[in-house]
Amino acid sequence: MPCERKPMRYGHSEGHTDVTFDDAGKFIVTCGSDGDVRIWESLDDDDPRSINVGEKAYSLALKKRKLVTAGSNNTVQIHTFPEGDPDGILTRFTTHATHVAFNHSGSRVAAGSSDFMVKVVEVADSSQQKTLRGHDAPVLSVTFDPKDEFLASASCDGSVVIWKIDEQTKVTSWPVLQKSNDVSTAKSLCRLGWQPKTAKLLAVPVGLKVHLYERDSWEHVSTLSDDMMTQPINVVAWSPCGQLLAAGSVGGFLTVWNAESKLCVERQKHEKGYTVCGLAWHPSGRQLAYTDTQGSLGLLDDLPTASSATKTPKAPAVKAANDYDDLFDEDDDRAMDEGLSDTHSPAKRPVAGGDDDDDDDLMPATGRVKNRSSFLDDENSLDTVSLALGQGKYGDDDDAGSTVAPPTGPSLPLRPAYEGPLPTLPQKPFQPGSTPAHLTHRFMTWNSVGVVRGYNDDQDNAVDVEFHDTAVHHAMHLTNALGHTLADLSQEAVLLACPATDELASKLQCLHFSSWDANKEWIVDLPAGEDVRALVLGQGWAAAATSARTLRLFTVGGVQKEIFSLPGHVVSMAAHGEQLLVVYHRGTGFDGDQALGVQLLQLGRRKRQVIHGEPLPLSCKAHLAWLGFTAEGTPCYVDSEGVVRMLNRSLGNTWTPVCNTRETCKGKSDHFWVVAVHENPQQLRCIPCKGSRYPPTLPRPAVAILPFKLPLCQTTTEKGQMEEQYWRSTLLQNHYSFLSSSGYEIDDEGQNQNQKEQQELLMKMFALSCKLEREFRCMELAELMTQSVVTLAVRYASRSRRMNLAQRLNELAMEKANQLQEEQEQEEEEVQEEEHHTPRSRYGQRESAGGHSSSRSHQAREEEPREEEEDESQETETLEADGESRKRLNPFARGAAASPEKPSPKPMSKEGRVNPFKVQGSGKSPSQSRVSNVLDSMTSVRRPAPLGGPSGKQSKGPVLKPLAPKPKTKMQSTLLQMATSKAANKKAQVNPEPAADRLKQPEVPPPDLPVEDSENQKPRTGFQLWLEENRKSILADSPDLQETDVIKAAMGSFRSLSAEDRLSWTERAKGQSGEAADLKKRKRVEEAGEGDESRVKADENIAKKKKSLDTTAKLSAFAFNKN
Amino acid sequence: MDPTEVEFLAEKEIVKIIPNFSLDKIYLIGGDLGPFNPGLPVQVPVWLALNLKQRQKCRILPPQWMDVDKLEEVREMERKEDSFTPPPSPYYMELTKLLLNHASDNIPKADEIRTLVKDIWDTRIAKLRLSADSFISQQEAHAKLDNLTLMEINTTRSFLLGSLNCMFKLRSNMQPGTSTGKGPDY
Repeated sequence: MPCERKPMRYGHSEGHTDVTFDDAGKFIVTCGSDGDVRIWESLDDDDPRSINVGEKAYSLALKKRKLVTAGSNNTVQIHTFPEGDPDGILTRFTTHATHVAFNHSGSRVAAGSSDFMVKVVEVADSSQQKTLRGHDAPVLSVTFDPKDEFLASASCDGSVVIWKIDEQTKVTSWPVLQKSNDVSTAKSLCRLGWQPKTAKLLAVPVGLKVHLYERDSWEHVSTLSDDMMTQPINVVAWSPCGQLLAAGSVGGFLTVWNAESKLCVERQKHEKGYTVCGLAWHPSGRQLAYTDTQGSLGLLDDLPTASSATKTPKAPAVKAANDYDDLFDEDDDRAMDEGLSDTHSPAKRPVAGGDDDDDDDLMPATGRVKNRSSFLDDENSLDTVSLALGQGKYGDDDDAGSTVAPPTGPSLPLRPAYEGPLPTLPQKPFQPGSTPAHLTHRFMTWNSVGVVRGYNDDQDNAVDVEFHDTAVHHAMHLTNALGHTLADLSQEAVLLACPATDELASKLQCLHFSSWDANKEWIVDLPAGEDVRALVLGQGWAAAATSARTLRLFTVGGVQKEIFSLPGHVVSMAAHGEQLLVVYHRGTGFDGDQALGVQLLQLGRRKRQVIHGEPLPLSCKAHLAWLGFTAEGTPCYVDSEGVVRMLNRSLGNTWTPVCNTRETCKGKSDHFWVVAVHENPQQLRCIPCKGSRYPPTLPRPAVAILPFKLPLCQTTTEKGQMEEQYWRSTLLQNHYSFLSSSGYEIDDEGQNQNQKEQQELLMKMFALSCKLEREFRCMELAELMTQSVVTLAVRYASRSRRMNLAQRLNELAMEKANQLQEEQEQEEEEVQEEEHHTPRSRYGQRESAGGHSSSRSHQAREEEPREEEEDESQETETLEADGESRKRLNPFARGAAASPEKPSPKPMSKEGRVNPFKVQGSGKSPSQSRVSNVLDSMTSVRRPAPLGGPSGKQSKGPVLKPLAPKPKTKMQSTLLQMATSKAANKKAQVNPEPAADRLKQPEVPPPDLPVEDSENQKPRTGFQLWLEENRKSILADSPDLQETDVIKAAMGSFRSLSAEDRLSWTERAKGQSGEAADLKKRKRVEEAGEGDESRVKADENIAKKKKSLDTTAKLSAFAFNKN
Repeated sequence: MDPTEVEFLAEKEIVKIIPNFSLDKIYLIGGDLGPFNPGLPVQVPVWLALNLKQRQKCRILPPQWMDVDKLEEVREMERKEDSFTPPPSPYYMELTKLLLNHASDNIPKADEIRTLVKDIWDTRIAKLRLSADSFISQQEAHAKLDNLTLMEINTTRSFLLGSLNCMFKLRSNMQPGTSTGKGPDY
């Protein structure tokens, strides 16, 4: 409710003035440095009555027809009012009095003087004086307690003192003011105000704010402030009702607060910006008279009364207060305190936030920084502060507008009334895994390589670098002479950066400890005016983002490379191998949200941008808290709400939330400080911080591991659980295809394990849906399955007598098989073409020539006695042969040999290591034991031959062969399999991802076990049975073998069969079941590893061949051909 | 059974360490250990933890109970109760000794912990002596004591059994002695 500001008028000559109203409010009374007291009937009174009271009048007080003035003649005089007759001298000082005040009843006058004294004089009897001594400098102002018990005085010595009048003693003293040596040089007149009527609060202008102290407890209960106040407050005055407090400042601002709600209800500016030095309320509370140091008198009319003032702005304020209250944590004392005292005044909260810092600089940025960095800060308070600061910022804009064009009365908006979205302060740049820079002991970075700690206390300014793996490098202790604040650490180097100082430019220092030459350090100075804001180390390169919004790339040895501009100020950066992830400010966020953009660049030989500055999704009102890559190279980040998101490369580079760390927290103010993310195994490595956001450096925090959990619906149900597991597994499998596409070698075993797990989950879900009679859902699930698992699903469906479903599934299986076949044919064509150009075509051609060529068998026989050697030479050959697409070792693979320092692990020796204690089948998940027999068989089927999946590893050919071929290296030594699956063999050869070390594992020949001769003697052993069936093929392979050699060769081949295969043979030998399968089929069995399983497939094959058969016939085959 | 054997048994207890090296899972008769990832806590038996610590290959994280506040609580409880309270760990004495001797730099407030554990030990041993005393003086045939640790039993066993044997002999000779008058022979 805007008031009317009357135009100023001349009152006195230039100089200090004071103003008051008479008891009835009929007159305005002013005094000035011309020594006159003028009595105005109204502001428009052109002929005010003047009373000369001396050379200069410093202050006046009026009560009960008595006018008391403090003049330059060292006296306090009384005049009658309104007549203006001198009524004697009340008291004298050794120097001039500075301020006089009446008590409430008008019976006493207090006067403060430049001779450090305060006197209290009875008006009726001036001989009854009380002198209050204790100030050490001229007294600025005095005010009576309305209950006449106390007296408050402010002095140039910086203190505000409460006196007990009767005892003439100090009750309390607050050293809150700025010191000065005289009233004329004081920054502020510091006119005190004691709340009338209730006498509860004492208002003290302190700098830009008004402190309210509570009577009796004398505690600082709250602070009133206004963003528009840019200069110290000179005077305060309580409205007669005691609810409103007016203040006038040096800069000419007039502000009226509601003391209860602490809301600013009125704001005016002196029309010329002169210093307000006198302020008085009309007894009705509707008018406010003020005078300035230029001698002018002004009046604000139609002020809102206390009741109306509380009503209008209250609605938004209360609403806001509720919002904020909800945000505050109960257990956060500091936040709570602030909440209690300040929530009702959104406009002034930034100031309150700055209170603790005793800092008058109220730039929003500083307030924000302080709050953000406060160690035990709660995120919620942070949010509100940022919100409030945003509001403050808006206010500043508003302010700027009003100074440019003088406001015209009512058009000046009341700030609390603004309800639109408020801009958020952009978050500061940070290094992932660092704690705030203001801490004396802090983590400069904590990543998967090691920890960089910074110490900055009295004794020491140092940086400690420690490696998790001491094999990388020993720990380092560096003196931090340059004052580095940013750090990053990799397997190769430590990168440090310091901001620019007055003399020195911002520097980038790199300790390249893995360098093989003698110079292990380099420093780069940035151009003047450019500060490093974020830095990161990749593999062989470093990057620094600067305040000039540029991103500079360096090699790790110090060569400057590309430089490019960022679309906004950087927030954080992360690197992994050749990938660089940059998060920057995309724009201004509103209502507590940050507007961040993200860029993902590939800096390898083929440089490209993968993510082109898309918005980075964050939780509501959250900011970025951690940014990085998983150990496998998938970008991921954590926001302040604790949500971990990971890039889903298979869904168009979207971000999927994979974990909410806050859900795992015990207390509200507990946090998890993420340090690393691993996809395989699924681990979120973080440090639990009890009651804080950051861990302390001492005692050394220990890393904890959190699991991932996709926020799918109904994860308490079995269905939801399995769905969550399935999608999590699918998501976390993306890195395999990424790594292989970028040319790294991948962990095939892990991938197969993953795929197996997924297919198992699908099968379980399928079974569950079957049980629930949800056949449509079954079909949907089957769509996700691989072809071989669909055949299992067909079996399951037919077994549970769901013919309709089985039929549909069968169609689906056919479709999938055809698809697969087509794909493979295409691939094969390509492959065959390629083969002619690659050195490896030696094998391919020979095998594609097919048959059991004698040359090959000859060679094979030669190779036989030196199997091991062959394997190795094969290995080397593979490496060499890969020519164009040489596999780089994945430096991020876990394990002992993973260190990129020495990237030559011996996969053979590592994987082939015989462990006498290893529990058989430890790789199987325990859940497998619980699944139905269908699933059991699936497990065993897939073990020897992992499912192909989309990578197209399925063997080709017209028959349905769901099994992946054995890798080529092994084929060389196992003649038999070579003969049976040449095509597959060839496929394996050209398989772009041999990664033989993993696949080979199950097939590595058992270590020199003694040949079990007894097996030969026994009439019917599994081996004999097997030999009988395979002798022909062995002979065909090598017709010139002796009988013993044949057995030997056969033995070798048999041993190289997987355990299951052998078991099934043994079992068959025991059972002697009349298997009427032909040889061809038997070979398939051999690969399938399990009789019944392959039979189903064989049946299917037959069915497929005979396409003329109707579906019912096919179904009956499923239904009744079971074992 | 001597204390070294008890200590040997205690070395089977599991503690958490933070290794500073990388190693795949190792397969031992007693079970699989690892994998060891630098910087990531892993659970290993005490014997391995100490071995690695001596080779400066790891930091040992103290067990949860090895905390000044918790031990103070246990000590107060132990002093208040007449009977034995459950010990913080069945091998608290041995573990404290082992860990503090070899890895005191990894355990905050090691000295205080040492004192507290010693206090607890002393209190318990005093109780044990007291109950042994009353057991003998009341000439009971059997007694039941709960919450004793192996080490505590071990410290008192040889002495208690020996003295009981001795007393049994004395008494059994006393009886014939009183009836036949041959007592003074012993």
